[in-house]
Amino acid sequence: MKKLFLFLALMIGSLTAQAADYTYLTFETTDGAKVSVEASSLTITISGTTLTAGSQSFTLSNLSKMYFSTSDETTGIKAISAEELNEATEVYDLNGRKVQKDQLKKGVYVIKTKNGNHKIAVK
Amino acid sequence: MKKIYALLTTLLLTVTAGAQTLNVKVGNVTYQFPASQCGDMTYTNGTTLTILNKAFTLSDISAMTVDNTEVTDGAIGVTYNGSSATVTVAGNIAQYVTPTVSGAHVSIEQSSDVAEEITYTLSGTSTDGEFYMSGSYKATVELNGLTLTNATPVYSGAAVHIQNGKRIKVKVVTGTTNTLVDAASGSQKGCLYVKGHAEFAQKGTLNVTGNVKHAIKTGEYITLKNATINVLGAVGDGINCGQFFQMESGEINIVGTSDDGIQCDIEDTETYPSGTGETTDHEDEDSGNIYLEGGTINVTVSADAAKGIKSEGDMRISDGDITVKTTGGGVWDSDKVKTKASACLGADGNMTISGGTLTLTSTGAGGKGINVDGSFTATGGTTTISTSGNAVVASSSGSLSTVSSSEQLDNYDSDYKSSPKGIKVDGAITISDDAVISVTTTGAGGEGIESKTYINITGGQTTIVAADDAVNASYNDDTKSLSNAGDFTISGGYLYAYSTGNDGIDANGNCYIKGGVVYAIGSGSPEVAIDANSEEQKKLYITGGTIIAVGGLESGASISGGTCKYTSSWTASSWYALYNGSDLALAFRTPASSSSSGGNQGGPGGNQGGPGGNQGGSSQQLVVYTTSTPSLKSGITVSGGTEYFGGMANVGGTVTGGSSVTLSTYSGGNSGPGGH
Repeated sequence: MKKLFLFLALMIGSLTAQAADYTYLTFETTDGAKVSVEASSLTITISGTTLTAGSQSFTLSNLSKMYFSTSDETTGIKAISAEELNEATEVYDLNGRKVQKDQLKKGVYVIKTKNGNHKIAVK
Repeated sequence: MKKIYALLTTLLLTVTAGAQTLNVKVGNVTYQFPASQCGDMTYTNGTTLTILNKAFTLSDISAMTVDNTEVTDGAIGVTYNGSSATVTVAGNIAQYVTPTVSGAHVSIEQSSDVAEEITYTLSGTSTDGEFYMSGSYKATVELNGLTLTNATPVYSGAAVHIQNGKRIKVKVVTGTTNTLVDAASGSQKGCLYVKGHAEFAQKGTLNVTGNVKHAIKTGEYITLKNATINVLGAVGDGINCGQFFQMESGEINIVGTSDDGIQCDIEDTETYPSGTGETTDHEDEDSGNIYLEGGTINVTVSADAAKGIKSEGDMRISDGDITVKTTGGGVWDSDKVKTKASACLGADGNMTISGGTLTLTSTGAGGKGINVDGSFTATGGTTTISTSGNAVVASSSGSLSTVSSSEQLDNYDSDYKSSPKGIKVDGAITISDDAVISVTTTGAGGEGIESKTYINITGGQTTIVAADDAVNASYNDDTKSLSNAGDFTISGGYLYAYSTGNDGIDANGNCYIKGGVVYAIGSGSPEVAIDANSEEQKKLYITGGTIIAVGGLESGASISGGTCKYTSSWTASSWYALYNGSDLALAFRTPASSSSSGGNQGGPGGNQGGPGGNQGGSSQQLVVYTTSTPSLKSGITVSGGTEYFGGMANVGGTVTGGSSVTLSTYSGGNSGPGGH
């Protein structure tokens, strides 16, 4: 029985060690900005000077590091006005899928506006 | 309880499988980094990505993916598939290895900085591939269903080449069959080559063919547990190693070699000219020893002068089922100016048999069952030896031929002949305890057991039927100065020594019978049943035991402690009972011929029927000795009891019928020596 307890203790320890579920792979650029992409079944390709991870593309020379994270650590998210959202020409989710701006659900999106591209978080 | 463990383990594996892994693919090599281990993966100058200290040139990376692949730390997998191979490397050891893949030829260089054992798992099939690994830290190589032929070598001619001087555990994965064939030409030392020491384990099967040299070659020791190794052919030895060879279990089958079946050498003869001998737990041992402790060995070698199993040091057999057959003839060694012949087992050092079942058959000219340069000790086991070749001799120029009669051998110096002996030992022969030895020789010069120092039997059961001396205690230039050189002594056990062409027992020194049961049969005058070297003032001393001697005793024997009697009227192939006083000593069957004319006449050194000796054409003397007063019954029937000497004797049985035999007091013996 002692052996069983010992085994279970080891198991629990092992389970704890494995418990961390890294949902995101976060890229950090040289300016400190971070972009998290969902890690599950992620494919990363490198073509010339560009690295593409899911819907995200990075210039290789701008990348400083990447790491697995348990939460979305995307930075540079800003609050925008309803007017700005209305002026958005295109909206994409983090998987690169184009979505209708009046059907946004909770999550992070990239919008294209006359003033440039922005990441927004819908809460 | 086992079910609980299995269930819990399954649960753990299921949970583990859910973890993410980053796969970095470079050519045919995929590095697998568990997310939990990755930490910060840094980009430098847009050209390099470093993960767990493994630096990748970004332009070399063909893809990176994240999936749920389970990664075992320290694992490298190599999968062969036709003309290509893929390699997977666990992230934690990625920084320490440099894999190179060219078609299905895989090389992995292991850094000297590696601080944990790496396991290389090889699987798949290729008709033109190889695996080469170099390193300096111990490693494990798993053969997990690998079929590999190295047709056009890139890194080595070997199919698997481990250029690593440390301990290499070779796991032949249970339930798998693995087949290795090396290149047809090259400089490889073996189809499976390990620079260091190899520990074979698990219950899979490994088939190996060595097209250039050995099938399996290790620079250092080999141990074997459980695995089955089949050597299907080799230009050199089937298995060749240094330091020592130890088999605990498993199976070895060897055929088709052009040299020895298994050979173990002293690795560093400059440091250890005679080896280290056995060390505690074999630590730092470089003995050249072979330890056979279990399992099954089947070896058939056909090359001239080949050995089935050969140790440069000692050979120690304590268990196992060992069958060895040699069919090759002799060779002339011009360097050593010596004739050599095959042997099933050969030891440059000593040999000990304490257990196991050995079946040794040698059919070539001069071929021996056992050939030992040191001493031979048998305390247990069952050893059955059969030799059937004639002696091989060499002319002064080294031209070889065979002889068909033992007498011809006297014309040759010892280095210019090799006889087909059952057990030939330069040192002492000691047989004791539970040893069971059975020897049959049929060719010219075929002595049963021979020592060039002395023979001492204190127990066991030794049964010999030989074409020449059944037992020969002799000496050579190295041993003749010893006080007991050429002595034969028996103080216990059972000995049957039947020669069809010479003496039953021939001691070139003194012959001492102090105890035990001796049944000796000489071939007929001038040979005797029991001989001592009286020309050199040696003598036969009988002080105890039970003796049946067909063919008489050496003249001038000293007999005490009992009574010796004889009859010259006895019936061949008939059962007799020998009594010691009123007690049955044993029942025995007489040989097929009672006539002295049926044996070898005028043998070298023998007399020609001197006074008191047998006369040609008459019945040989049947001499009996017991510690009290011997008596004989002829024509008896025996039942029960225990059979000895291959059915020629019965001990402890019940005797019925028969009639008393008139015995005369024995006071002489054959005069003149019985030959050497």
